[in-house]
Amino acid sequence: MALFITKRLLMALATVLVVAVLAFLLVHAMPGSPGAVSLGAGASQEAIDEVNGRLGWNDPLLAQFFRWLGDAVQGNLGTSLIDGRSVSADLGNRLPVTASLAAGATVLSAILGIGLGVSAAVRGGLVDRIVGGICGLAVALPAFWIGIIFVYLFAVQSSVFPATGYVPFEVSPQDWGMSLALPVITLAVGGAAFIARQTRASMLEALQQEHIRTLRATATPTWKILYIHALRYASLPIVAGIALQFIGLFGGSVIAEQLFAMPGLGQAVQTSVSTHDAPAVQGVVVIATVVVVAVNLVLELATKFLDPKLRAS
Amino acid sequence: MIPNVAPAPADSAPATAAAAVQPKSGQRAAFSKISASRLFASPGGVAGVVWLAALVVASLTAQWWLPYKTEDQDFTAVLSGPTAAHWLGTDELGRDLLSRIFAAAAGTLGTSLITVIVGVVLGTALAMVAAGRGQTEGGISRVTEVMMSLPGTVIILAVIGAVGTNIPLIMAILGVLISAGIYRVMLGQAKSLQSQLYVDAAKVDGVSTLGISLRHVLPGLTNTIVVQSALIFAVGMLIQAGLAFIGFGPPIPQPSWGGMIQGASQHVYDAPWLMVPTGAVLALTVLAANAIGSALGKAPNTGVSHLPSAAARGQRSVAAGAAASVAEAGAIPAKGHLSVRGLSVGVDGGTPLVTDVSFDVGPGTVLGLVGESGCGKTMTALSLLGLLPAGVSATGGQILWNGKNLAAATEREMEGIRGRDIALISQEPMRALDPMFTVGYQLTAAIRRLRKVGKAEAHAEALSLLEKVGIVDAKRILKTYPHQISGGMAQRVAIALALSGRPRLLVADEPTTALDVTVQAEILSLLRSLVKDTGMSVVMVTHDLGVVADICDNVAVMYAGQVVESGGTANILDNPRHPYTLALLAADPHANTAADMPERLATISGQVPQPKDWPTGCRFMARCQFAGSACAAPVPLLPSGSEDGVVRCVKADELAVEGLEWLATEVPTHRVLKIVEKDLA
Repeated sequence: MALFITKRLLMALATVLVVAVLAFLLVHAMPGSPGAVSLGAGASQEAIDEVNGRLGWNDPLLAQFFRWLGDAVQGNLGTSLIDGRSVSADLGNRLPVTASLAAGATVLSAILGIGLGVSAAVRGGLVDRIVGGICGLAVALPAFWIGIIFVYLFAVQSSVFPATGYVPFEVSPQDWGMSLALPVITLAVGGAAFIARQTRASMLEALQQEHIRTLRATATPTWKILYIHALRYASLPIVAGIALQFIGLFGGSVIAEQLFAMPGLGQAVQTSVSTHDAPAVQGVVVIATVVVVAVNLVLELATKFLDPKLRAS
Repeated sequence: MIPNVAPAPADSAPATAAAAVQPKSGQRAAFSKISASRLFASPGGVAGVVWLAALVVASLTAQWWLPYKTEDQDFTAVLSGPTAAHWLGTDELGRDLLSRIFAAAAGTLGTSLITVIVGVVLGTALAMVAAGRGQTEGGISRVTEVMMSLPGTVIILAVIGAVGTNIPLIMAILGVLISAGIYRVMLGQAKSLQSQLYVDAAKVDGVSTLGISLRHVLPGLTNTIVVQSALIFAVGMLIQAGLAFIGFGPPIPQPSWGGMIQGASQHVYDAPWLMVPTGAVLALTVLAANAIGSALGKAPNTGVSHLPSAAARGQRSVAAGAAASVAEAGAIPAKGHLSVRGLSVGVDGGTPLVTDVSFDVGPGTVLGLVGESGCGKTMTALSLLGLLPAGVSATGGQILWNGKNLAAATEREMEGIRGRDIALISQEPMRALDPMFTVGYQLTAAIRRLRKVGKAEAHAEALSLLEKVGIVDAKRILKTYPHQISGGMAQRVAIALALSGRPRLLVADEPTTALDVTVQAEILSLLRSLVKDTGMSVVMVTHDLGVVADICDNVAVMYAGQVVESGGTANILDNPRHPYTLALLAADPHANTAADMPERLATISGQVPQPKDWPTGCRFMARCQFAGSACAAPVPLLPSGSEDGVVRCVKADELAVEGLEWLATEVPTHRVLKIVEKDLA
């Protein structure tokens, strides 16, 4: 087990490093030098060269990368070319927004998805077909479109939730919840459908196992067979599905943040890419990767813990 | 926006009873080639194909039929709803929505296709390489794992930062990211295709790895490739629209679906209609691709639920209620006496699997149900506990237990019988135990439930049960998970589990078949001593006449869903009357002692007919050495003359008089190994 965890940790570290290199290269392939980007149109070539020189833009790539890496390890991701603010500080402010969004959407997806998937598998017949139809529709509808519909229904027609904006938890927990509601629900629609399908398939597979017959042969009550034994057996692929969903939802937050005007990481990617703000792009890619890889690692360990065969070995 | 396409949990088809009848035949079907009939058999699939075809045709011919140019602005009708002039309304600049949607379609579909081609080709190729050359698999899998755990959206956006909004290039890079998921889906299939015997044969014949991949593996993957392509196509469209929505679409005047929805989102307050047409077309197109994928991807019946769904359970109790009114309770209630009368089991609303089966099991006796695979032995045995697989049920006759007809009992009544009165042990002990719980948990839970005792008492009882079934270190075994013990040990645990409710009747479905020969004998002697000690009776399903001779008091020989001969074990084995029994004995190497071992063991040519092919006459006729014209008429079960034995053969008396034996069939001379004595010396 310790060996397994060590291997996974190394793997996660390697993933982050690969992405850091990738981000570094991509940023260097961006059109325009940092000087040109930061000084804007109309700047003189001398001024641009001066900024580039100060930032070490003309140093060998390797030297630049290791300088960046050295700073990054100490928590310094550089300064924005556009507004001169610290990238780390900016992302630090944004991370909670995206994290609450993605975590909320994942939890809601898991609850809805497992509930729907289990009832489809267990009840069968009409319920199964209705859930199947809803899921089919939910994965086909783009999140941003669903989001607009929700805004129309819950913010325009009846002002249950605020249409846009984000209130930090420290300011008002209640408003924080309200401001998250629509984006979270928007993202959870597709996620729940995905998890519902995964759950349904896993539950059906679990119910095909022979030990279910043994349980029935020893007069185990149906609820216990379904919710203790079959769901336990199905839990491994379901948790794996939830992990995948979190990755997807973390990316999906770009859209939700854009649609609901939330100051999260997704919005930072979108603006920094549009403005060619190299340090910001590089920083946000690495931060997003670290979060996703870390969450994945935790969920993977959870999966292993759920499986007696792997736990013992 | 979910670029990390997980191996889509295929909408597995509802398990049907057909698979229950032949669990082995369905497996190869998983590699079926792409089947147009499967696509067109599904209404969703047809609708999907029609919609996509119509969209492609409409968008390719757009320039000839579109009412407006994409940039035409009609300032008299800004943000209008559907009108005669603008069928789907107009946007904030008065541009016709219908025209813009269809003008954007070709680009959207075309660029999504790039993702499909890159992703599927790369994913499939990697899977074939990994499956073909084992040493590459670890590396490739590691890389794809990393790719799947990346925040794909963020990376795609960073790529856009570097290369600009070059949609085809971005969609190609998206394809590379997605290929990891496709690789995962393909790898399992490619590997199992690689492990097929005919692939081994091709390897022996010297076919190159590449040749094998292309000739034997790729064709088996075609259906999955098409399914994945359809699903990825849908994902590609959604992601592309998502990118356009956040401002990374095609350059400005050019229409795109995502961009149009972005425009609509600005007018959700004053013109909510605006988002409807584009969203609907996008959603319909994604739905169409998904529908095609799931129509083709429907897994062939892979397995059968051991717990009927609530809907099916409802049906069953209705059926049981109906059957109950027919059933007559005329038998004499005897404690611990099982009497099966004219039992029929069949697929719901279809093929019968077992017809008109009758037998009796008295207290403390062991009945053997014997026959080849596919004769309905297991179905008969499971029906005694009401544990037939989903979609199969008792369709007639009676199972009288203590005077009560179990064939018509409700699920609730059966729950009171199972474990307490009638218990089950099955063929594969490893699969019969829940892999997720310890032996101790499973055993004590059953004991607490069935004996209504407390935790401590149940634990003590579990220990004593395990000792009773011959497990020495019971304490340790209680703490283990099923995968940590051997098959023989697991079968002992399964027997202990079956005994936890002190049953009067034990149904044993080939309890020794999956075990090593040495363990088989131990399990049989355990069962024998349990019968002696507890006085319970056993219904033993087996195809092994040695087991019958060893442990059974009575035998019912089953063939093609019928009892063809039954009676006392000694009678049947010494004086078989039915040709099928004769044949089974002649074909059994253990039934012949070394002295009278024939030079060649007999065989029974052909196979047990499928239920749908059962003739109206004798079902064994097609394989019988003694068949005559009289066998074509339905054959009744008649007393065989010895004790209470019965036999279902019109020629039984004739055969007995003439003393005929089932003979080994002639083998063409060129296939006989000529063994000359000097070669042996």
